[in-house]
Amino acid sequence: MVSHRQGNAQRISALDERAEALHLKRDMGIADARAMHPSIDIVEADPEADRRLLEGLADWCDRYTPLVALDGADGLFLDVTGCTHLFGGERAMLDDILSRFLHQGFDVRAGLAPTPGAAWAAARFCGDRIVDGGEEEALLAPLPLAALRIAPETRASLESVGLRTAGAVMAAPRAPLARRFGATLLLRLDQALGRLDEAVSPRLPVAPLSVERHLAEPVTLTEDIERLVGLLATTLKTDLERRGEGARTLALLLFRVDGAVSRIALGTSRPMRDPRLIQKLFHERLAALEQDIDAGYGFDLVRLSVLAAAAFDMAQADLTGEVTDDGADIALFADRIRARLGEGAVLQPVAVESHLPERAVAIIPFSEAPRRTTPPKRPDRVQAPKTIFPPERPIRLFRAPEPIEVPATEMPEGPPLHFRWRRALYRVTRAEGPERIAAEWWRQAPGDAAASTRDYFRIEDAEGRRYWLYRQGLYGGSQSAPRWFMHGVFA
Amino acid sequence: MAISAVARETVFALRRQIAKIEGTLPERLQAPAGAPLDADASPDLTIVRRGLAAALPDAFLPVGVDPLDAALSGGLPKAALSEIHGLETRDAGAVAGFALSLASLILKQAQGLPVLWIGTAEIFREAGFPYARGLQASFGIEPEQLLFSEAPKLVDALWVAEEAARMTALTAVILEIRGNPQRLDLTATRRLHARAQSAGRPVFLLRQAAEPEPTAAPVRLIVSPAPAVPRETVAGPLAGSIGRPAFTISIGKSRTALPGQFTLEWNPDERAFDERRGEEKRERAKDPVAVVSLPGGRKDPAAASGAVVAFPAPRSSDVGSSATGGQPPPGQRAAHFGPRRAG
Repeated sequence: MVSHRQGNAQRISALDERAEALHLKRDMGIADARAMHPSIDIVEADPEADRRLLEGLADWCDRYTPLVALDGADGLFLDVTGCTHLFGGERAMLDDILSRFLHQGFDVRAGLAPTPGAAWAAARFCGDRIVDGGEEEALLAPLPLAALRIAPETRASLESVGLRTAGAVMAAPRAPLARRFGATLLLRLDQALGRLDEAVSPRLPVAPLSVERHLAEPVTLTEDIERLVGLLATTLKTDLERRGEGARTLALLLFRVDGAVSRIALGTSRPMRDPRLIQKLFHERLAALEQDIDAGYGFDLVRLSVLAAAAFDMAQADLTGEVTDDGADIALFADRIRARLGEGAVLQPVAVESHLPERAVAIIPFSEAPRRTTPPKRPDRVQAPKTIFPPERPIRLFRAPEPIEVPATEMPEGPPLHFRWRRALYRVTRAEGPERIAAEWWRQAPGDAAASTRDYFRIEDAEGRRYWLYRQGLYGGSQSAPRWFMHGVFA
Repeated sequence: MAISAVARETVFALRRQIAKIEGTLPERLQAPAGAPLDADASPDLTIVRRGLAAALPDAFLPVGVDPLDAALSGGLPKAALSEIHGLETRDAGAVAGFALSLASLILKQAQGLPVLWIGTAEIFREAGFPYARGLQASFGIEPEQLLFSEAPKLVDALWVAEEAARMTALTAVILEIRGNPQRLDLTATRRLHARAQSAGRPVFLLRQAAEPEPTAAPVRLIVSPAPAVPRETVAGPLAGSIGRPAFTISIGKSRTALPGQFTLEWNPDERAFDERRGEEKRERAKDPVAVVSLPGGRKDPAAASGAVVAFPAPRSSDVGSSATGGQPPPGQRAAHFGPRRAG
């Protein structure tokens, strides 16, 4: 028996058959129930866990149709239009669903109807019933008002005027009903009867292409799964070729025998359709996820879906049949690294128009970097440089400037003579600077403009190491004492 | 005649293949003057110590400084793992700068393919992340030609490096590791070396603050920063300025070279190395520290007393053997800095 807190009292939110046999009811107070039967076992409700379980079931139902939607906290909608023949007809499919759920230990009610409303009513009030087109009215007429999916208040007021079944509501004139009970009632009625369309919004985007394989004998070995991926990708290739596309995002769904579903997604830097390469990428991904995927008793359905596709450029092979494209090699390499180590494993710098050193280069994942189609420009000696003396920039930059201790400077505006960085003392032998870099005023809040102006010095210590330091703030100013930071290292 | 030429060509090709499989590095030696038929018949081949012609002429990356190239018998091997050590983590700028200048030398010959720099999260935090603007200005490497890979753990970094080392679509692979981790042992470096050999691309293993230990890399260089010379202007060296980056390179391990020390200077405009001459060193010693800009209207005091040298450098070092690169021993160099003369 499961309890939940409603208002100020603990109430029964769900109960099993044995509790029902004791004449306990839903929404009864826990105190009353305990008074009747002191031996009952009560568990606190956990809506989060229920939700997760339902999501898991919805994942599993993906094996029947890609269009699975959640219905409240205790139901699932499956849009099986065009899928039933794959399972040997509607009756066979419904039986399959029910028996598989039963073997997983779930007590399920299912109904199949042309409209979501009718299916809802069939599942909850008839149980295991298949409704053909045109039979919705006959199905709904004897059912109580709750089968119409209307609010309890509306239901209560309808019952108070004597309309106790759905059939009675259907027979009543529409205009007074709408005036008195609102438009929702008629909307629900029309949706259930198929006069109005009702869209079931799937919880996951539907893949444009997917191939799957049902297995008589479940597989557990990673190698077998990889081989299956290769086979599925070969099937996928013909579809992709017909569309002239390559896959950008791929998802592998592994349906375990006991109902758990593993979803493994990976992205590619370039559109891809070669089964060998797809298999290679999934090899890396599966190797990385080895601990996370529990094969248990094995997977009995493997599905490979293309979630996103892009136009595929054909490449002309030479006479030996080999296409040598260094860019493609690098893209594949980056994809493999990404499949195993995650999104940020291969990075590429991109120059940004900014004079702040840390903003002047953006480090972005390789897959998002803009591709340059033309070969890199050769250094042009004729063209004059934009600045005669381009400012010196370090070759390594600390992600966060590290504070250093500076005891004294020769001149208030000058470079330090000594400084302490990471607990080591450095003696400055030579220095160049300052180079004043002001903050970007168009990016910052008004008021703190002076504080973040930096004076950069390029210094060399006694052993020849060259560093990039800066002073934030000015000596003798009205603000607090200036602070010194280490920002980069020169060659 | 033609048949024998073809046959010899085949034998050479097979020997080259065997040398590649065995992993023996072709070593360039001077061909004897009264050479047998090989020497002038195939000038494009490198003569290996055993007397076999096995290496292609582009098997080496010449550094461009003759004494160092001669000591390394032609330069750094191109298709191999090369270790570049830094003594301390704070030398990371010099170590990375030297590796990047080598990459820049390769890129100068053949544009296009990117350089991949692999590091652990630890080293990028400790020594700073590579800064593309600086790399562009100092080494001419465009941001498009750079790829970084930041691995959370050393195992992952090694895996990425192994995958990258077998790729021919990269100019060079730089793997940066800190300290002496257990995982980076002889086996791991041998795997890297073997992949680099078969791909024909260099892998530079940068090791910050690491002790030398047995690895499969044929060459180990120890890089430390060297004080830069002042900038050259029309009116002579600009006092107190910091000129081109300079490195002190010592050969820690090589099958051909004797231990030696060289001071190289990187020229970012020409993208080439220059060797630091003794002349410039004395010039630098003459004017060691001038942090303050000189007051107007006064002559440079250092120039006035420039003839006085506290400890004159021995002339013999300038004409010394090529193996030591014309450098005085490091202990002697401190004397060049001399006491600062009052202005």
